[in-house]
Amino acid sequence: MFELDQRIAEQLTLVSLNSAIQVRCGSSNAFMVTASTMIPLMQMFEMGGVYICATRGAVEIIEAFEAIEVDVSHIHFLDLVSSGILGGTNVTYPNISFVDSPIMLESVLLRSLYMLRISGSEKNFVLLDSVNALAIYNNEKMLAEYLHAFINTFRQRDVLTVLLNVPDQVPPSVLANLDLYCTDLIDRGQVVIH
Amino acid sequence: MDEILRGGVPYGSTVLVSGTCGSGKTTLAMEFLVRGALSGEACAHFTATEPSVKLLENIRQFAFFDMGMIDNGLINVFDMDVLYSWLGLDKATFDLDDVHALIKAIVDIVNTIGVTRLVIDSVTTLCYKIKSEQLIRDFLFTLGKKLSTLGCTTLLISEITSASANAHWSSFGVEEAIADGIIVMGDVERMGHLLRFLQVVKMRGTSHSRAKHSIELTPIGVMLTPMLKWGAQSDKQSKWGS
Repeated sequence: MFELDQRIAEQLTLVSLNSAIQVRCGSSNAFMVTASTMIPLMQMFEMGGVYICATRGAVEIIEAFEAIEVDVSHIHFLDLVSSGILGGTNVTYPNISFVDSPIMLESVLLRSLYMLRISGSEKNFVLLDSVNALAIYNNEKMLAEYLHAFINTFRQRDVLTVLLNVPDQVPPSVLANLDLYCTDLIDRGQVVIH
Repeated sequence: MDEILRGGVPYGSTVLVSGTCGSGKTTLAMEFLVRGALSGEACAHFTATEPSVKLLENIRQFAFFDMGMIDNGLINVFDMDVLYSWLGLDKATFDLDDVHALIKAIVDIVNTIGVTRLVIDSVTTLCYKIKSEQLIRDFLFTLGKKLSTLGCTTLLISEITSASANAHWSSFGVEEAIADGIIVMGDVERMGHLLRFLQVVKMRGTSHSRAKHSIELTPIGVMLTPMLKWGAQSDKQSKWGS
């Protein structure tokens, strides 16, 4: 049986709507941490929002939520992965839209804002999964600049920002900037012994 | 756009919207008209690049568009070919008299309907018929002046092949000198992908932003955000962007 990390829900009760939360996870507990963050936001706080999929395609994530019987039909998924796969955009879920590539950072921001504008929810979050996936395609300076703009754009609009990252796979300068920009930290990163 | 212009396009201005193909010029212009119609203004669109029927199909993409805007005469679309034919200007090149006849026809339409927002798409196609640079200058200057006197804010769409820093912002090099404002639209190439951008180069009477903005065309209109400083240059000099 799938077990949620209840401590994350407890920590979420302490953050305000215009917060930016850095959620650190390990590569093996990423979905558990994501679900433990998303489920309280959707069910306890009745929030809508945008899920930015840069690590895996949106269909895979929706199916993972369906497997644990969690309805995510009111969440908009912005898929940055599947356009790079032949036939990847041929999906039946109406709540998925696509951006051509993770390098089109401004398009990701504008598409997210568009989805929030048409969202029926009064309270919204935007979840970026993940910073390390964006770091594969974008140089450090551009990514640091982007995260700065991204966080401030949503904070200004009272949209809760959640940035998922696997710390040992994020460039140190980007990680340092995340520490600086984010208001809260949920740390479920795993210790890696080399 | 209003935020970038610190309040919007000044009333009665003639603005050149220059851009490469697919950069969103027509969409931006159509939104300018639909937003005007929404606030009860009479608007006109002179199309020389695509048939009016096709243009109306594209306008339906806007979530805030209502067919009543057409039915109630708030948005009026004119085919330039029909106008030429009506004026007896079915010829390859225009002389001074033809140019004056064309200006008079456009001004008469604006005056009769009470148009306060006008789009000519594209002024490049129209000016191809005017052979002399001096005549093009006279045409645009006289048209702009007369429309401004009537309180009509005009967007002149101009097609350019490059939106780079060294490029001209108009096809004939004279339009940019006459316009009150210049908005440049193009693409930045980033790792093989084209990102649309918009930059206000000039807008008389405003303290506008001159930053490069990334744009996204959505059903709720053109959305803009400042382009990332580390990504505002194309990967390499290309015909698409700067």
